[in-house]
Amino acid sequence: MTTDNVLIKVDNLCKSFDNVDVLKGINAEIHKGDVMVVIGASGSGKSTFLRCLNRLEEPTGGKIYFEGTDITDPSVNINIHRQKMGMVFQQFNLFPHMTVMKNLTLGPIKLLKKSKADAEKRAMELLERVGLADRATAYPSQLSGGQKQRIAIVRALCMDPDVMLFDEPTSALDPEMVGEVLEVMKQLAKEGMTMVVVTHEMGFAREVGTNVVFVDDGVIVEQGEPKEFFENPRNQRLKDFLSKVL
Amino acid sequence: MQDFFNGLYQSFVKTFITDDRWLQLLNGLLVTVEITLFAAVIGVVIGFLIAIVRSTYDMNLSGRKCRSFGDYILKVVNFICNIYITVIRGTPVVIQLMIMYFIVFASSRDGIIAAIISFGINSGAYVAEIVRSGIMSIDKGQFEASRSLGFDYKSTMVHVIIPQAFKNILPALGNEFIVLVKETSVAGYVAIQDLTYVGNLIRSRTYEAFFPLIAVALIYLVIVLILTFLLKKLERRLRSSDH
Ligand SMILES: Nc1ncnc2c1ncn2[C@@H]1O[C@H](COP(=O)(O)OP(=O)(O)OP(=O)(O)O)[C@@H](O)[C@H]1O
Ligand SMILES: [Mg+2]
Repeated sequence: MTTDNVLIKVDNLCKSFDNVDVLKGINAEIHKGDVMVVIGASGSGKSTFLRCLNRLEEPTGGKIYFEGTDITDPSVNINIHRQKMGMVFQQFNLFPHMTVMKNLTLGPIKLLKKSKADAEKRAMELLERVGLADRATAYPSQLSGGQKQRIAIVRALCMDPDVMLFDEPTSALDPEMVGEVLEVMKQLAKEGMTMVVVTHEMGFAREVGTNVVFVDDGVIVEQGEPKEFFENPRNQRLKDFLSKVL
Repeated sequence: MQDFFNGLYQSFVKTFITDDRWLQLLNGLLVTVEITLFAAVIGVVIGFLIAIVRSTYDMNLSGRKCRSFGDYILKVVNFICNIYITVIRGTPVVIQLMIMYFIVFASSRDGIIAAIISFGINSGAYVAEIVRSGIMSIDKGQFEASRSLGFDYKSTMVHVIIPQAFKNILPALGNEFIVLVKETSVAGYVAIQDLTYVGNLIRSRTYEAFFPLIAVALIYLVIVLILTFLLKKLERRLRSSDH
């Protein structure tokens, strides 16, 4: 499994909530440096799929291999693997009782056992890259939505992850703030970060995605490179979906 | 008129000065404060522990089958906690105090220790429910963000959930302490010479009801006002962190 450059391999992933089957056998491979964009109608299971990848939702069937390890095995310590899988939420979920700097350094200090100085230095570098160095001492409630989300991305990056999972990172933002967050994500992709992005931003999918997958009713019904995917969709449901969102 | 003030003066002297009765009141006050303080500490410790057990159960096991040995332990402990809360909240504190003093502490008859433990256990049940509601009121996203960074359940509680919950529950917790101070006034049932007991004692010795009872009432009021003031200050300090 560790051969070639497969970072995450999803094998027949299933998830049901109280006998409602939400994911019905998802297969996917995410390679290092990939930007996989996941699209689909509301309720199709995109978030559930993403959240199974770091076991925020417990899969009810199938396997997920991350860096060669089957992380669905109950005996693995999922916390160790989560350190390597950054996650960004629609609602930001910054810790409101901590300053931005505390938000960014909590994980590195407590989990990676970095010194406070090292953690703060790294956080500051990343803050500068997203243009928020001057907000280090602010509390989340003092930030705009776009700033919060950029900080949330930086918080995940401070753990030095191997993959970043994004669940509709721009859906809760005012339209004028969407651009600044997408810009950061674009930059990340350009630097070679492996990313799995659930989004409704088709422009982003087309421009940044290395492959796009369409989830419908708990399965991936079509996937491909963005150009081919958007110009020549084959599946009828995908055609309908694209005609609505494009 | 002269007689009236003279009488008032006599009553005052009888209540506070004769036999150093002000000193008795002061000792009563100290007993009340001592019982309240230690009981509050016990109550907070018990309360937080039980709240963590109960919310851990609610978040992880509620409506789900046990899968590991740990799950069964949690289930049993949660069940015991529920019984504890039900029994403590379902019976009068005076009865609990008397059971503690006349049955559990029957051989030693150490009233103050019995009272501290008894009021602590009683308060714990109420604190537990306050803390639990505080924990459950924290947005699920906070929990998920912390877990997604790689924090385990316990560290998530310690660094992310409890600090936020604590801020939210502070007013309710403060209220619980205020109730506790006043509830200790039944300590006289087990021969503890607390503030209320001393006040009543002076009343019966001097046949003067007015001064001793009003004085005792005022002292409680002052304690409560001081507590309220301190809590407000603490609340303001904590709140200043998220504007
Ligand atoms: N915790 C849960 N308990 C029960 N059902 C759930 C739970 N989470 C999700 N579901 C159900 O699973 C289905 C898929 O949900 P999911 O959130 O994955 O959809 P989605 O594709 O992300 O939709 P959206 O675009 O609206 O975010 C929905 O029908 C939803 O009601
Ligand atoms: Mg979703």
